[in-house]
Amino acid sequence: MEMSDNKIRIDIEGVEFGYSANPVLKNIGLTVNGPQLLSIIGPNGVGKSTLIHCINKILSPTKGVVCIDGEDVSSTTLKELAKKVGYVPYAANDAFTLSVVETVLIGRHPHSNWKSLDHDLDIVYETLRLINIEHLAMRSFDELSAGQHQKVMLARGLVQEPKILLLDEPTSNLDIKHQMEVTRIMRNLSQEKGILVIMISHDLNIAAKYSDNMIMLYDGEIYAAGTPEEVLTVENIKTVYDVESEVVVSHGRPHIIMLDPEFDDDVSPLDEETFIRKI
Amino acid sequence: MTFKEGKEEYYQGARKKVLFTTLCVIGVVAAFMISLTIGFYDLTVVECYQIIINHITGNIEDVMGDDIVWNTRLPISLYAIICGATLAVGGAIMQTILRNPLADPYTMGISSGASLGASLSIILGLSLWSGFSDDLSLVTMAFVFSLIPVGVILFFSIVRKTTPSKIILIGIAVMYMFSAITSLLMVTASEESLAEIYAWNIGSLATITWPDVPLPLIVSTLCIIFLYSQSRSINVMMSGENTSRSLGINTRRMTMICMVVISMMTAVVVCFCGTIGFVGLVGPHIARVFVGSETRYLLPASAAFGALFLLVANCIAMVAGTFGLPVGVVSSLIGCPLFIFLLLKMRRKAWK
Ligand SMILES: Nc1ncnc2c1ncn2[C@@H]1O[C@H](COP(=O)(O)OP(=O)(O)OP(=O)(O)O)[C@@H](O)[C@H]1O
Ligand SMILES: [Mg+2]
Repeated sequence: MEMSDNKIRIDIEGVEFGYSANPVLKNIGLTVNGPQLLSIIGPNGVGKSTLIHCINKILSPTKGVVCIDGEDVSSTTLKELAKKVGYVPYAANDAFTLSVVETVLIGRHPHSNWKSLDHDLDIVYETLRLINIEHLAMRSFDELSAGQHQKVMLARGLVQEPKILLLDEPTSNLDIKHQMEVTRIMRNLSQEKGILVIMISHDLNIAAKYSDNMIMLYDGEIYAAGTPEEVLTVENIKTVYDVESEVVVSHGRPHIIMLDPEFDDDVSPLDEETFIRKI
Repeated sequence: MTFKEGKEEYYQGARKKVLFTTLCVIGVVAAFMISLTIGFYDLTVVECYQIIINHITGNIEDVMGDDIVWNTRLPISLYAIICGATLAVGGAIMQTILRNPLADPYTMGISSGASLGASLSIILGLSLWSGFSDDLSLVTMAFVFSLIPVGVILFFSIVRKTTPSKIILIGIAVMYMFSAITSLLMVTASEESLAEIYAWNIGSLATITWPDVPLPLIVSTLCIIFLYSQSRSINVMMSGENTSRSLGINTRRMTMICMVVISMMTAVVVCFCGTIGFVGLVGPHIARVFVGSETRYLLPASAAFGALFLLVANCIAMVAGTFGLPVGVVSSLIGCPLFIFLLLKMRRKAWK
């Protein structure tokens, strides 16, 4: 399923945003060109979700412009934008219980019409199979585990068939195997279908392993942008997260080992009466 | 499981949903036929249909019977269908767009506004125009006042960003204020007026006559058709504001449009028969138990079930007691146990 039009470009220029008087994003400038998996990292509350919301018009920047393929999003209708940009929120908060198929089907909205149900269902089932949750199809969305929820939400973003897919911490509830699986699928999908996947992540090692590029937010600005190796340096991690670390390279990707000087070499042992035992 | 099987499973579910709606529609037709034959006059089933056939063919033999069946029972039964369908659809859509299972068509304060309007008309004899008859004054006052709370909510939605919870809270606040004014009026009211207001608040179809039917019929039909045409977008709104926006829906505009349409049809229906409760809140929930929450199935199912429910309640209301009971009372009396039974009995989870 090769996309005919492979041009994908996001230009963010001088974007500022604040929920109240004090700004969350200050003067963000970024160009992203071409299909890839791009991770956004940064500490809690730094504005990662806010930045994503500025890209797909959930929020409007107080200053600056966001252009997608050269078109200013502020003058693009939500409908047009929905065909280009997909979004998967941090947590689903659907009001009433639907089955998994019905939940994912909602994501087809921008492309569907009264007659497209059959085609839409094909795409839904195809996607469920792609991320290995076909067996959940008829289950009630409410009765799933947190990780299964997350995969269903991801499926909803995928069936939207966007050129740009924005994911807010898509793997935060997944076990290591599924974190790897989902992130790998995202990376491969970006190349196979020629889409730009932008993912917020708190797991630096997963992000480093699969991302083509990363940006690191700090204090409302882009502190670093580039390949994982360029971004994930000991100094950057120290400044942005205030965490000491060691970076080792494994299979050409940086791997972060966290250090804690207050703890590592200074662990007081438990008293003898405290134990656990498998019986 | 193969691809085909998966889809087939979905379609199977869909067919069951359509079946539920179809059964309700058949039920409506049956209940409608039956409803014409029951009441306080001793007319046999055969006589009733003879009267109807006679009326249609234009040779009325039994003037008295014609008056009972054609001029009394027929408009009341028709109105029960219109009213049940309107309130249940209004409730289903309000719940969906406000993402709240406790929402109903009265969430926007329509009922409190309508009773204030009715009270002003009954107690103080206020009217919008001096040329109106008493009945018409009541209807028009109820209609106009029922839309005031909606106006307030819309005003706030336009000047400020409102969330579903805010909309519900503003609705409740306005409702309390209007109820307070109504109570104040009632303190000064005569006993007769009190009884009349009280009956109006419970809602009754007993006073419905032919001239009351066309306007609600037309308005409700148009509004329900419009809402159905928007059902795909409305369905998306269950996923919350952010997801809806990213799927191309202007949630704020959609919420306002739906609120205007629902309050129009509810106000038009309610101003003739009083604030019949229950069916607007519970009707859609009972439908959800059978068809789930996907709007394209829920809307027709709610309409059909709401109509059936109110029609049956009205049949019972007509024969219960010495002079019949208000339909509002009967619908709650039989509806609540039914609803709780379904809640406990059904496996399908329709709510969180
Ligand atoms: N709706 C809101 N109203 C007011 N302030 C908000 C709102 N949403 C977020 N904020 C504030 O804006 C800042 C950035 O929030 P944002 O959600 O973008 O952070 P984040 O980087 O996604 O954090 P996390 O890693 O915890 O998800 C935070 O300080 C937060 O308190
Ligand atoms: Mg966030």
